[in-house]
Amino acid sequence: MKAEKNSDNLRPLAERLIGYGKKQGADEIEVTLYDGIEFNVDVRLSKIENLVEAGSKFCAIRVLKDKRLASASSSDLSISVLQTLIRNAIKRALLTHPDECAGLPAPALFKVDDASLKLYDPEVARTRPQEKIKLALTTEKIALEDKRITNSFGSSFVNHVLKTVLSNSSGFAGEYIQSYCSLSIGLQAGQGDNLVEDYWFSSRRHFRDLSSPEEVARKAVSRTVRQLKPKKIRTQNVPVIFEPTMTSWLLAFLFSCVSGVAVYQKTTFLADRLGDSIGNELISVVDDGLLPARLGSRPFDAEGVPTQRTVVVEKGVLKNYLCNTYAARKLNLVSTGNGNGSNVVPNNFYLAPGTANPEEIIKSTKEGLLLTRTIGHGLNPVTGDISRGASGLWVEDGEIVYPVSEITIAGNLGEILKNVEMVGSDLEFESSICGPTIKVAEMTVAGV
Amino acid sequence: MAEKARKVLSYQDHFHLKVSDLRKALKLALSRGGDFADIFLEYSISRSILMEEDIIKESSENIAIGLGVRVIKKDRTGYAYTNDLSEEKIKIAAQTAAVIASSTGSGVATHFKQLKPRKDIALVRSLATSSFLQKKIDLVQRAYHSAQRFDPVVKKVQAAYAESIQQTWIINSEGLSARDTKPMVKLIAKAVTEKNGRREIGFYGGGGRVGLEYFYQKLRPEEIGREAAKEAYLLLDAVEPPAGEYPVILAPGDSGVLIHEAVGHLLEADFIRKKTSIFWNKLGKKVGSEQITIYDDPTIPGLRGSYNLDDEGTLPTKTLLIERGTVKGFLQDRLSARLMKKPLTGHGRRQDFSSWPVPRMSNIYIDRGEYAPEEIIHSVNKGFYVSRLSGGQVEDSGKFTFSVTLGFMIENGQLTRPVKQATLIGTNLDILQKVNMVGSDLEFGLQTGTCSKEGQDVPVSDGCPTMKISRMTIGGLK
Repeated sequence: MKAEKNSDNLRPLAERLIGYGKKQGADEIEVTLYDGIEFNVDVRLSKIENLVEAGSKFCAIRVLKDKRLASASSSDLSISVLQTLIRNAIKRALLTHPDECAGLPAPALFKVDDASLKLYDPEVARTRPQEKIKLALTTEKIALEDKRITNSFGSSFVNHVLKTVLSNSSGFAGEYIQSYCSLSIGLQAGQGDNLVEDYWFSSRRHFRDLSSPEEVARKAVSRTVRQLKPKKIRTQNVPVIFEPTMTSWLLAFLFSCVSGVAVYQKTTFLADRLGDSIGNELISVVDDGLLPARLGSRPFDAEGVPTQRTVVVEKGVLKNYLCNTYAARKLNLVSTGNGNGSNVVPNNFYLAPGTANPEEIIKSTKEGLLLTRTIGHGLNPVTGDISRGASGLWVEDGEIVYPVSEITIAGNLGEILKNVEMVGSDLEFESSICGPTIKVAEMTVAGV
Repeated sequence: MAEKARKVLSYQDHFHLKVSDLRKALKLALSRGGDFADIFLEYSISRSILMEEDIIKESSENIAIGLGVRVIKKDRTGYAYTNDLSEEKIKIAAQTAAVIASSTGSGVATHFKQLKPRKDIALVRSLATSSFLQKKIDLVQRAYHSAQRFDPVVKKVQAAYAESIQQTWIINSEGLSARDTKPMVKLIAKAVTEKNGRREIGFYGGGGRVGLEYFYQKLRPEEIGREAAKEAYLLLDAVEPPAGEYPVILAPGDSGVLIHEAVGHLLEADFIRKKTSIFWNKLGKKVGSEQITIYDDPTIPGLRGSYNLDDEGTLPTKTLLIERGTVKGFLQDRLSARLMKKPLTGHGRRQDFSSWPVPRMSNIYIDRGEYAPEEIIHSVNKGFYVSRLSGGQVEDSGKFTFSVTLGFMIENGQLTRPVKQATLIGTNLDILQKVNMVGSDLEFGLQTGTCSKEGQDVPVSDGCPTMKISRMTIGGLK
């Protein structure tokens, strides 16, 4: 299956729907068409457990009539169905209220060259299924060679290729094709009722950039077995070191707090704080849609606004909110190319790396927690409060001494950003939100 | 409540396919020797309305159509899906799924038995998806204004309405053909309060597999708005949660999410047969206090987690999972039941046509006990009362956490100060043994919940009576 060939007819379809919408009385109309293929293999205990191959298409439409918005979508791409959806949307728009800020973005002054972003690797779709299956099998085989591992949740290889075609009645017409692949494994260790689990993965846009089965397996094994024989600790306030995956989790929470939508809705503690110091000077956070081959890169957002590099926090000072067109109008700002319908999404949202290497950070800690996993929800953007179940490794005199489990960590994002003492140099772009190791001076760790 | 005999909702054909077309595809799916094949066809319409900043801001309408072909060979699954229902695309999907097996073809039934539920679990008099949009806009506005009017500290309100109707047709190589129609509605409100620079948020909502009349008779929009505002109002004066181990009392209803996470997931048969669940070798064994009896029941009329047929065409049954502390059963789908040689329970569910079924909960609950709720509260000298749990997560090893959005301190057997956001953490075997009082006041929680597993979201609801857990770790600030 080749997405790029099958979707040659998407552009004319988009143009035809825009013409139809205008004829039916829409003031503005936007049409997005997606054409994707998916491959997914899960292997477990040396056998294929699930094998999925599929192709699907999808259409999303937004119409405006007298500053009133209505949207629609369909996986049925027959012209009569899509035309009915457009007519219904125009009718529905008239039942809603006018909203001065609603509307398509103003035509962009420049265009990002999608080739420079290196979003697509033909190898991803071209590589034979047998080879992908073998990668998953090999990963699991290597992991299970370690006798401390007692069970496997399975290893998976997943890939997608997706073509996006976007047109609107203001004259925007853009398209790009992107690929994604990942290799992952989940493991269990321990005996009886004392079990621990963890996973590891590598995900990239280009097939050759994926970590090897050895690397993925080794990392998953070490992350799992290091949790064996955990101790409980008493409730105390200590320094907490966040591993990169944990920093990413913290940043995902920060993203939801600097989202322009949350800001105009006043559902974030960072509303009305532009220009304020919200962290110490070790904290610089950037959203960048233009990094070549990174998972969060794209030439334009879901509204056709070109993506860009936006400094969100510079040395602790809140510089920008991340906005779609609507939130930007609400806040008297400009869209940062983070639009996704009525929401905003990150492009590559990351904490800029510092100079400390992760070992140094651990060495600097007299007594504290190296946070390795959190579970649960417990994030409140309105207050910045964090309360999560957690597990990690206990650090004494600069050394990891034993794993700890059944703890919770509590704090406030605003406080944490002010109390970061060290920022690591180990930034990897394994996902669209990421950060290096950091050390927070003090948080409450609750145990027994 | 008196109920008239309910007829099954009428079924409209959107697929324009004949049984013979699908039989051909099933034959192709088994052409390489699979043990079993099925085809899941879906057509669904969902609509939503959003109100914020005093205006009806947006409405949307979404159509999904497609089919998924599954082939099972021993414990392996081949799957392919398409949203193009042309003969050629169905053929490609069947051939793709077939690849999981590699021998000579196996047979497909020649006669297909129509399976039809006798009585509809959906409680619908006025089908939402067939009603005028203006009626639903009115509901949203009523919820919105009721939250706004609650108190001047309410600064922002959001109200949203969602409805859907899903039509499914499942046909399998053993000769089953089953069609169903599943309606759903939901109305929610969120309120943000502000006082002295402090902001808090409250949430409330309801719905289920019910008609629009639900919002006129059972749960009015005004109540939804008011409750959301009330929660955000109470939180303004809430104190920081205590940190450490305390006796914990769970309010009835929403606290059922604790059983969903701590017990339900680990009784799903896929985790049992793979031996990754802590319960895999505990059938017939005592794992908890005598106070605990747990059921999962997909047949409770009107609830969000209910269905007439599961997503493999199986008639579901109320399933006993734990009886007075002893493990009695698991939640089965076809694949697990086949491999474990157990009867089907009707818990094979999927998010949509692009996903294969896995064992899932529907409406899980702790059965009522013997204590009066006041008696349970009076029994605690110093402890923590969980009024609203917003969600949780569990690992197969049994470790779990829950987020408490609103709690109260218990002092000398009375609820006192409201407590803001806290996390509860524990391991399931430990908690099951520490449940030492179960109340007589069984309730189901807000009919707005969704459960995620392996990337698939399905609607669920959870229930429980007031319960006391003798000790539990609370994460808060010291």
